[in-house]
Amino acid sequence: MSTAIDGGVRAAFRAIADVLIPAAEGMPAASEVDVHGPVLDRIIGLRPDLAERFFRGIGAIAGLPPETAAVQLNAADPQALAAIGLVASAAYYMQPRVRELIGYPGQEKRPGNPDETPEYVANGMLQQVLDRGPIFKPTPKA
Amino acid sequence: MSGKTGGARRDEPVDVLIVGAGPSGAVAARYLAAAGLSVVALEQGHWPDAADFPGRKREFELAAQKRWHPNPNVRDLPRDYPVETSASDINPLMYAAVGGSTTLYAGHWTPFLPSDFRVKTLDGIADDWPFTYEDLLPSLEEIEREVGVSGLPGNPAYPPQRAFPTPPLPIGKAGRKAVEGLDKLGWHWWPGTNAMPSVPYNGLNPCVRRGTCMTGCPEGAKSTVNITFWPHAIRSGARLITGARVREIEVNDQGLATGAVYIDENGRERRQRAAVVIVCANGIGTPRLLLLSKSKRFPDGLANRSGMVGKRLMMHPFSAVLGVFEDELDGWMGPFGQLVESFEFYETDASRGFMRGAKWGAMPGGGPLGVTSFVGSQIFSAGEGGMVEDVWGENLHKLVARRFNHCLVYGIIGEDLPEESNQVVLDPELTDSDGVPAPKLLYKVSQNSHDMLRFHVARCTEAVEAAGAIETVVVHQVRDTGWHLLGSCRMGEDAATSVVDQWGRSHDVPNLYIFDGSTFPTSGGVNPTATIMSVALRQVRRLIAQRHLQEAA
Repeated sequence: MSTAIDGGVRAAFRAIADVLIPAAEGMPAASEVDVHGPVLDRIIGLRPDLAERFFRGIGAIAGLPPETAAVQLNAADPQALAAIGLVASAAYYMQPRVRELIGYPGQEKRPGNPDETPEYVANGMLQQVLDRGPIFKPTPKA
Repeated sequence: MSGKTGGARRDEPVDVLIVGAGPSGAVAARYLAAAGLSVVALEQGHWPDAADFPGRKREFELAAQKRWHPNPNVRDLPRDYPVETSASDINPLMYAAVGGSTTLYAGHWTPFLPSDFRVKTLDGIADDWPFTYEDLLPSLEEIEREVGVSGLPGNPAYPPQRAFPTPPLPIGKAGRKAVEGLDKLGWHWWPGTNAMPSVPYNGLNPCVRRGTCMTGCPEGAKSTVNITFWPHAIRSGARLITGARVREIEVNDQGLATGAVYIDENGRERRQRAAVVIVCANGIGTPRLLLLSKSKRFPDGLANRSGMVGKRLMMHPFSAVLGVFEDELDGWMGPFGQLVESFEFYETDASRGFMRGAKWGAMPGGGPLGVTSFVGSQIFSAGEGGMVEDVWGENLHKLVARRFNHCLVYGIIGEDLPEESNQVVLDPELTDSDGVPAPKLLYKVSQNSHDMLRFHVARCTEAVEAAGAIETVVVHQVRDTGWHLLGSCRMGEDAATSVVDQWGRSHDVPNLYIFDGSTFPTSGGVNPTATIMSVALRQVRRLIAQRHLQEAA
């Protein structure tokens, strides 16, 4: 089994990635954001544990039409399909265009203001909890 | 003990040897060194480097599923030891580093409640602790000052106590959504109390809600003892040796511990002698080490005349309820961390069909890959036998559009009652990278836990539905959630049925102590780090006060 990301692997991955992540619902297909490009190398480099299943799956679907490939791989080797799907979806949701479309800025800083009175204090919501009184069982007297 | 001020050189005998540099080991080291005792700590992992944490990187979620996964068997790093889990319903989670598993914890700061220390008296099951909530409270309040806890005082789920040192973090849109439902039902909630300061504090930066707490905080804002305790301990003279895998605690002919044998980073076997040995290696690592330390005098493992070393392992079976809402909830935003907590069903109500209870923590839903996973594990998915189109194709886009940024997750921590059949043993074949036998878990989720989680899942589902959820997804008994490793070297006053006394001193070896969560007689239904650190402080204070009476090798 080859573990090099050559042109054939990229082409096969691109084709099945478009079945898993097609252009639909206002979102681009996987290939439109180049999941088969340099990001593929980056992900396999980051997650070498996925490589064996990824390349096994890609090898198994050689020559098959992409839709047939996905269905057959899901039946014969779902672990391989899961690895290909994870690589494809991880690559897809790392792309700025995709993130913008789903409204995801990434894990960014959003500091709060520690001096601000919390809304739930100001509007009395928390007072309702306090008004119900203690709910713990105290330590029994010895 | 000599009381010579620290600065011991390698292999020189010291007053106190600590095994493990996690929360309890750090508490011990800091206070012992400050009291003028010479201290060496051996830690199998290394200092965490915040620059390595993936939270600032685009591939954050992908890294969370492997390199930063909390299951050591998934990470499979050389400094981790493997755990044989084929006979366990739950996978144990931990991390080998200075700071221990808090490197990857969520920082939920939830001390045990008064009833947790009196389970036998109140409910007629399990055991009481040798001390009470009130006995522990001064230590808890002191620890909270060091940890830099953020929170709002006055939670009616707890007795009154000293205010937290930093104000609460914002509960955000997801927290407000959780509150909407709880308020409609008239159920308890409180803004989340977290081990993350909201202002700069004790070497910690303030939390900026990046939301990547569980892969290590790149901001240095999650309270971990590598930041809050070890620098103080080292300044006071404690010596911390990393990359040091302890394989045996040795004893002399008088039955006193003399120190430990460890394997250093270069694979060389070394010996550290000490007057007192304190084991702080967590509820799996500690019994593993004691069981490895067999000798003529202790043929069944060190401090194991009771036969209780390794038994009564508790790991808090965990379920999750995900609520999906029409509103955008900033579901990727932290803290991650608990936004809101609820103790509505914490105390026993026998009419529910089980004993004891659980705490809920409302958490955000995570990034786009998080719509099908929780803390790096694939859980909200179609599963084996599903069709391609179940989770791929147009349905992937629909799923992400519906769930991403629209979720909150209730995590349910239920009290796990002690059972002798749940145990840590040594595996006959599996070893770590130094060839030391690995632990094996024999653990079954009890009927009580099963029934408890079913009840709480139903109530959490009601809570998210009351808040207006358009979809709920339940995952019952998540396998990769054995964060809380407790009970396997139980404390008690009877040497026939327990391993250590309330001060952590082993009944069988008078200069061997255990200060970690393995000594807990019961598990509570909350995240235990606050209690682990507080108990360690209470114990180390006693050791320091009594040091002139301490027997030593």
